Parts: sequence; C-alpha cells; structure tokens
Amino acid sequence: MSKSSPSIKRPASPTHLRGQVAASDSPGPAGPWDPVNTHGVTPSDAPLAHFGVAASFEGDLALLGLQGEIDAASGRVLGAFFEALAASGYPSVVLDVAELDSMDAAGLAVIASAAGTLVGAGGGLTIRSSSTDAARVLDITWLSDLIGIELSPGRNRLGPEQERRRLAPPGAGLAESAEDPMTVTAIPADEDVVDCALRLVVALARATVGGADGASVTLRRHGRLATVAASDQTILDMDADQYSTGEGPCVDAAIEGRWFHAESLNEEPRWPAFTPKARALGISAILSSPLLVRDRPVGALNIYSRTATAFEIKDQKLAGVFAAEASNVLAAAGVDIADDQVAGRFRIALRTREIIAEAQGVIMEREDIGDKEAFDVLRRSSRLSSKPLREEAMDVLGSTHRPDAGTEIEPPEQHHD
Amino acid sequence: MTDQTGNTLDEFRRDALLSHGELWLRYFELGGMSTALEVEAFLYEALQPSLHDRDLIAHALNERFVELGGNHPVPYADEQRV
Repeated sequence: MSKSSPSIKRPASPTHLRGQVAASDSPGPAGPWDPVNTHGVTPSDAPLAHFGVAASFEGDLALLGLQGEIDAASGRVLGAFFEALAASGYPSVVLDVAELDSMDAAGLAVIASAAGTLVGAGGGLTIRSSSTDAARVLDITWLSDLIGIELSPGRNRLGPEQERRRLAPPGAGLAESAEDPMTVTAIPADEDVVDCALRLVVALARATVGGADGASVTLRRHGRLATVAASDQTILDMDADQYSTGEGPCVDAAIEGRWFHAESLNEEPRWPAFTPKARALGISAILSSPLLVRDRPVGALNIYSRTATAFEIKDQKLAGVFAAEASNVLAAAGVDIADDQVAGRFRIALRTREIIAEAQGVIMEREDIGDKEAFDVLRRSSRLSSKPLREEAMDVLGSTHRPDAGTEIEPPEQHHD
Repeated sequence: MTDQTGNTLDEFRRDALLSHGELWLRYFELGGMSTALEVEAFLYEALQPSLHDRDLIAHALNERFVELGGNHPVPYADEQRV
C-alpha cells in the first residue's frame, strides 16, 4: 500500500543540471582551507583551467558533456563528480567529449581511474565522440579495454542551449518535457511495495508449482544481483552461492534473459563451481525463469526441488506464468526506468524535489510571488517549526484539495483569491 | 563568502558530517539547479553562489543540523545583510 505522503502524478521536472567552472582567472580560495579533504579535491591547487561540465540523466545513464581542458586540476574535480555519480546510483556514465579542447596525461589517468570506479560500482564509462580520434587514443593507451567508445556525431549532444535550460516554473510547461530525453518521466513505486508483490508471487509459485520446495526472486539492484524475495533459508543460501560463484541457473537467467532448467544436479555439467554447493544444501533440481521488462532481463524467478526431475512440463509452464506476473509487477513499478541501478536515495531525492516544486507552485499562485520567494516562504516556516522543508511542502499540498494528497479530501481553504 | 560566524560553508558541511555528494543530493532535493561540481566550488568559495543557491545550501545544512539536534546555525542571505 502506498504511504501517506501525497503521490505526485505529473511528470518529474527536468533534472537537467547546468554547471560551469571557469576559474582561469580566479584568484583562488581566500578562506581557511583544509588542504586534505575527503573528496580528493585539493582546493589549494592551481586554479582550474577553463573547464565546464553539463550533467543530465537519460534513463539509467548519466550524461556528462565536457568542455574545455582536462588536466590534473580539472581532472580531480571530474573524478569527484564520478564518485558522486557512482554513490548516487548512476555508475553508468556517458562522456560527451565533442566540445573538449584537450586532455593531458593526468586527465587521462583520472578518466581511467574513474572508469575503474564505475565498473566496480556495477556500471561503466562510455565516451561519445564524433571523431575516431578518441577511439585511437584509448586504443594506444590500451584503455579501450576499460572504456567503451560510441561514435554518434551530434546525437544527444549536450549543447549550450540545453545548458541554459532552466527548471520550468512549477506546474508550467511540463507537457513538452515528455519528449525531452533529459527528463525523468516516472517516479517508480516504493521498493517496499514491489518487494511485497514479489514475495506474494514467490509464495504462490512455491504453493502452486508441482515439486517446488522453495522459490525466490533475484533482481539486479544497484548494479548487482540480489535476492529480494525468498520462501526459505535454503533458497537464500542457494542464491548466495550463485552470486558468490558468479554462476548458476538464476544468474544465467537474470543476465541472459533465457529460461534455465537444471533437471538433476547429479548430472549437471554447466555450473561446476555452484552445483556441488547446491547439492550440499540438499537441492536436486532448479528452474529459473527470466524476469523481463520491455524485453530486457532484470532478474529471475527461481524454484528449487529436493527431488530430481521434479518439474514436469506443466510445472515449467506454470513457473513461466509466475515469472511473467513478477515481470508485470516490475514493469508497473517502472523498474526499467528506475532501473536496477538507481539508488533509493536518489529516487527519494527526486520525489522530494517534486513535492517541494509543487508546493512552491501552490504558494506562487496563492500569494502571487515568484518561485524563489515561494521557496523562502517554505524555508522560513521550516526554520520556525524546525520541521524539514519537505514536510512544510507536504502541509501546503495537503491544504489544497488534491485528491491524491490523502485518503480524505479536505475542504479547500479559501482565504481569498 | 565567510559569514559573520567566521565559518565557510565547507566548514559547516564538515561539522554537519555530510559528504560533498550527500550535501549536493540534499541541495538538489530542495530544488537546486547547480551541479555537484558547482556546489563544491561554492563551498570552497571558488565560485560565488547566487543568494538563492546560498540559501538552498544553507538550508540543506541547517536541516542536517536539526537532525543532529542543533538549531539553524548557518545564516541565510537575509539574515546576513542585517
């Protein structure tokens, strides 16, 4: 069930961000500095060369458009940015270097290290370029093993006009954003709600599929496979063994998007590291069906039996039906958009941002003021009440009669027009 | 812009036990439009934030201080002008 917070139905506002650090003539920091900070940026360094970055999000990808020069100083800042992206659940990064003027060896080292970080976080780095030069450089430096190259002249370039895009005033001009690839168009359902639905599917599969002694659902979350619903400890252990050995029917089904049936583990040659562990758990047969969202594998429904060849044709079909059911749950929850890698934290931030923008819109209309002033109104109430600004925003939305603001429709407050 | 408390925004950030990434996320949550990189530059005073941006950062920090049992120690732009 949904929580009591208002669910905002309209599309999220553009999350395109704009940034430019051009500090070539900056006198440098004036205040007291901690020369060694935890973020790898040493501000006492020489001023940054001309360097700019525009960040935006397209599905599960973070797109960074780079401008200017990448050297040791700007590279470190860029490195911090990569870390923030990986930490925010965006380990898959596309770098658009079309407007990059130059990159020195130190800059290349930062990119290489960032690629390692992103791969470690379950994502990766792709460089989008309109020329083959970038590919050649990576080839020469054998970084092409680590970094992908995408040759796509001009497509989805992060140009200056996009950089100048501003957040639309709350409630205004959102219709056009449907075409904007930089827009997050859906806020997915709570992970809790999804997990609850998946547990139900697991329980049904275990109870209904003939020969089933246990069932589980594996999902790719935050870049790695995890069991999100399981009927018992044995299958949790079995799944864990598959993740740790990196092999097994559930891993294969979740990655390849195909169905895998281990009829009898006593005669199973395909997963030599995993099979003995499963047999040690008393498991004799495994049926793993892929979970697909828009034809893309996102996980697997796993059923095991203590009896070899326990799963008959009808049971295999039934497992497919439940896998389809679980896939529907995931599709409805927007799992392919919110995707396996978007950290819950970022999702919450997007939702909160929406709520606050919506409340700002209400205040703007009510008090006939601009968006910054509307924010100040919220900020002052938050200061006075010591409640988070988000809660003040929810109060504002609750005071207007939004049907989705709660189960009870409160009468609108009508002070004046 | 070192304020009348003598603290830079980044010193407040460290007192609030927030990473740069987490502070940016909180700033973004409040409606901030600048990148993490830009916010970092604001904290280090390498770039001058707009008054609105500064207030967003101040508020993100203050909400954190409230979570930690404090009161709003980071002054807002209108409190600084006096």
